[in-house]
Amino acid sequence: MIPSRTSHSSSIGPGVVPRGADPAYDEEVKREYDLRKNIPHLGKGSKGRPFSIDPNVGVMTRTQTPYVTGTSVLAVKYKDGVLMACDTLACYGSTKRYKSIQRMKLVGKYTVVGFTGELSDFDYISTLLDELEMTDFCQDDECPRTPKEIYNYLVRVMYNRRNKFDPLWNSLVISGWDYVEKKPFLGCVGMIGQHYVDDHVATGFGNHLARPLFRESWKEEMTEQEAEKLLKSALLSCVMRDKQMMNKFQLSKITADGPGEISEPFAIDTRWGYENYVNPTKYAPGAW
Amino acid sequence: MSGIGTGYDLSTTTYSPDGKVFQVEYACKAVENGGLAIGCKCKDGVVVAVEKLVQSKMLVPGTNKRIHAVSKHAGMAGTGLVPDVRTVVDRAREEAANYLSFYGDAIPANVLADRMAHYYHLFTLYWSVRPFGASVILATKDSNGYHMYVLEPSGECHKMNGCAIGKNKAAAKTEIEKLKFGEVLAKDCVKELARVIYKIHDEKDKDFECELGWICEDSKGEFRRVPKEVADEAIALAKAALEEDDDMDDA
Amino acid sequence: METYDAVGENNFNPSSYHGNHTKQHATWSPYDNNGGTVMAVAGEDYVICAADTRMSTGYSIMTRQYTKVDEMSPKTLMASAGFMADAATLKKLLKGRCDQYQFANNKPIGCVAFAQMLSNTLYMRRFFPYYAFNIVAGLDAEGKGAVFTYDAVGSYERTNYSCQGSGQQLIMPVLDNQLKTVSPLVLPAVSSATPLSEEEAIDLIKDCFATAGERDIYTGDAVELFVMNKDGIRKETMPLKTD
Repeated sequence: MIPSRTSHSSSIGPGVVPRGADPAYDEEVKREYDLRKNIPHLGKGSKGRPFSIDPNVGVMTRTQTPYVTGTSVLAVKYKDGVLMACDTLACYGSTKRYKSIQRMKLVGKYTVVGFTGELSDFDYISTLLDELEMTDFCQDDECPRTPKEIYNYLVRVMYNRRNKFDPLWNSLVISGWDYVEKKPFLGCVGMIGQHYVDDHVATGFGNHLARPLFRESWKEEMTEQEAEKLLKSALLSCVMRDKQMMNKFQLSKITADGPGEISEPFAIDTRWGYENYVNPTKYAPGAW
Repeated sequence: MSGIGTGYDLSTTTYSPDGKVFQVEYACKAVENGGLAIGCKCKDGVVVAVEKLVQSKMLVPGTNKRIHAVSKHAGMAGTGLVPDVRTVVDRAREEAANYLSFYGDAIPANVLADRMAHYYHLFTLYWSVRPFGASVILATKDSNGYHMYVLEPSGECHKMNGCAIGKNKAAAKTEIEKLKFGEVLAKDCVKELARVIYKIHDEKDKDFECELGWICEDSKGEFRRVPKEVADEAIALAKAALEEDDDMDDA
Repeated sequence: METYDAVGENNFNPSSYHGNHTKQHATWSPYDNNGGTVMAVAGEDYVICAADTRMSTGYSIMTRQYTKVDEMSPKTLMASAGFMADAATLKKLLKGRCDQYQFANNKPIGCVAFAQMLSNTLYMRRFFPYYAFNIVAGLDAEGKGAVFTYDAVGSYERTNYSCQGSGQQLIMPVLDNQLKTVSPLVLPAVSSATPLSEEEAIDLIKDCFATAGERDIYTGDAVELFVMNKDGIRKETMPLKTD
């Protein structure tokens, strides 16, 4: 680590030496930077300077940016359960990197967790949930963790990681059947531990695109068919406007009748049959 | 206080002159004070059964279990000192979870049996600890199929086709030896084991419950308590068989 | 130009533009402001603690049914605005401490003791503060209404009315105008409790929230009033505009 040098020159004033004031020092800084130019937030053009408490450790990096990400998850409660939907895409920046990723996970019998954000972080969360599920299995007492308990657990996990300044880069949607209170459960946890329960939930872009539709059309005591229709119309809006979303979706359903189901992937009906789309050059003389 | 071995039984750190570690042998005696636990390897799985001696009529039926899942694909039936059984089961759960998190795959049967045998053995080596007064039957499934192991206080570990531990194990062994290991189906074996438990049960003892567990194709390869209907049927048959025997004796 | 924002919320930080590089990254802050207004008014023999139920981030509303007022003990109400994850954690922690107090002393914690405990808890995190703006309301040992108002790092004072959160600037002057009474410093001492009756105070609070909801985008959906008097605690709810 290079010590920050303090200037005592009256022309520069007090503080850290700015670039250009002392070429020798700049040279020294550059050498340090070149060593670390592959670390994204310290690379070329960045303003960051190497900083560490322990000079032997070098620069400590944590997740500063997500890499492989999933976009919105949408979910609605209805009369006898909860429906959740999301696409099967994980993007690397703007590249459609993995097109058949299942972004929802069944935890025990009565809970489904869906994620937005970093895929690898969710993988980690999955192992935590698997361990949790195993303790339920071994307990063998017919009272596995309820969705609400899993939700509260995930809230603590997310919040504790933000306290370490090492966040899990996800928003999670937790849906399930609360077999104690005999009613559906739906909640959402954010990357820094913010959380809420509601009748309908959407993460990421979906909060802008789908939530207004839910607010307009959602009503208490919806049937499964009505809820599915609402969800699919919201998916349509999302897939048309969110470039990170793909027309290959999965739908999960969880009811009192036990094991939650995650559907096979399906596409929703989009209409691209406008004449100008079918034959884009028809009205453009000279084009080929 | 005379004879060979006198005074050599206070610690596991000293052999007796004829090569015994008395504390371990006493631990085995403790196992024999627990109820009977038996197991059988079947064509499509492993079945275990425990004679849970009920100390008090006030005990809530179905509680205070002796058969425990270790992970999805492994379980244990134990006998002897019940708290010791629980400690062993806890350790097995830890081993299974640890292996899974490190290697990303379920712990193979022989590895789990091996690690548990080591764990048992550790408690026979030091002055400061007491060997477990408990034996367990380990029933597992891995990529090579279904397996059954027996673990004993000394740290011995045997892979078995049929086994009996705890009270009246000798009599139970004679019965189990008659079974067709590896050929009988798990759902039939449940009945056989229930019958053995009822037959061997010593009437001097107080009340007991017959606990049944299995890991087989019927339980989708997961270690489970035998479903209530199946268990009830097996127990009803066992009771009927017992009465028949009694009638014959009377005749 | 790529942006990615995991939470769909305002974690995007424009300061991550570097010189003329146009590459943007989603950046991360451990804090968010989830908005909301909380207030409390103390009378001679009652206290009212109220808060709206909106939870927002940036320009979007996450939920319209988030209760910001909690009963910490039979004599203590606590309401928090600011970053909801911090507020929730803080309340969970304090709730545990209240239970421990009950076990150790065989009586529920009083609001004055609770107020001090909250201050200490906030100050313990002086250098990584709970981003929560709190009001504690309760009846003191004499049965008089008490309101305690805090900053994020634990400074607090006992007052007769207070308001915190996103609607603070809109509501506080109204309260000053309507409720300001004799200074506690004058001699001989005069009760500085709010002169309004319980019903009048409820009306005033409802008016305040309706007004704040008109101009503050982070306040709305519904207002929940927790009214504490010698008979116990009761809750009233009034809908607000959802725009």
